Amino acid sequence: MEREDLVGRLMADIDPELLEFLRTRVNSFVKWDLIRFFGENPHTTDTAENIARYAGRNPEAIQAALAELATQGVLTENRLGEMTVYSLTSNPEVRRLVHQFLEATNDRQFRIKAIYHIIRGMR
Amino acid sequence: MERVKTGITGLDEMLRGGLLPQTATLVEGAPGTGKTTLGMQFIYHGIVDYGEPGIILTFEQFPSQFYRDAANFGWDFRRLEEEGKLRVVMTSPEVSFADLQAVEGQIEVLAREMGARRILVDSLSHFQRLTQDPLRLRHLAYTFINGLKREGLTAILTWESPVLLGQPTEGYEAGIPFIIDTYILLRYVEIESSVHKALLVLKMRGSDHDKDIRQFDITPRGIEVHSRFEGHEGIMSGSARRMADSFIQAFVRR
Repeated sequence: MEREDLVGRLMADIDPELLEFLRTRVNSFVKWDLIRFFGENPHTTDTAENIARYAGRNPEAIQAALAELATQGVLTENRLGEMTVYSLTSNPEVRRLVHQFLEATNDRQFRIKAIYHIIRGMR
Repeated sequence: MERVKTGITGLDEMLRGGLLPQTATLVEGAPGTGKTTLGMQFIYHGIVDYGEPGIILTFEQFPSQFYRDAANFGWDFRRLEEEGKLRVVMTSPEVSFADLQAVEGQIEVLAREMGARRILVDSLSHFQRLTQDPLRLRHLAYTFINGLKREGLTAILTWESPVLLGQPTEGYEAGIPFIIDTYILLRYVEIESSVHKALLVLKMRGSDHDKDIRQFDITPRGIEVHSRFEGHEGIMSGSARRMADSFIQAFVRR
């Protein structure tokens, strides 16, 4: 129990803003992938099916994650004719967090901590 | 007459000064012939040399690939995006088609906000994903191109030719060359066991243009169009012959 607390404290040693972003928005590996995709390709607008193709995933795997990211304000969801399309939010504050998160993932220690939080959140 | 300069050495001369404003140019060629490079160069020079912001619409290549490829030519696309002079938009033919038809769609808003004057669509041949019917494809491409013109954009649209050497093309079947204003062909040519690249302006609606088949290279600075092929014929067949050989073949060996 004590050991778990110690690990928990070590793993919480992340910028509080990023930790919150991790816990509330990047709370699955599929979402991590999608946030990275939209962060690297910020002017993408497309359907879940096409985004799945770009991300090398099957559409069923990402449909729910896209919808959740839209609800959480990371993406915007729009109707275009009969299609539902997703793009990165234009909210500068969220865009800054996405950018900050992607920058942070270049650091191995951060990645380990982020994976820890995502797995804990999945339990 | 006002011209939209591509900024590509040799090409503007072939186009009698540049493309006509608010027209659509199809650049057709096999993989690696330089279609996307030509389009990127058109966008880059537009921004840097002529103060005309640009949009790149990509249906397959990731924007990060564009940034990397452009950087190889010394074109800093990331900086231009940060400065609001360029947008590399990744989307699909079906979404961009519906978007252009919609009022206040992304492309319309983007073009207005940026004051964009140029667009590269890479590539129009992806519209083939939407239909197998050549007539429907022609209708889709026609509507799409008119949407770009409506936004005041001068467009370069690439078309992937599946044939490495010689004559394609699937685009002919759908009549795509008929609905565009300028038609540029890029071809590999085999001459004496060596592969060269050829460029031909096949059509330019509303303007005279150079009819020569010119040799071009992709240099560290981008595409440079040189003088015409001398002493050979059958260039566009992909396998050029010396003119003397053709003469012998035609008259002497009979």
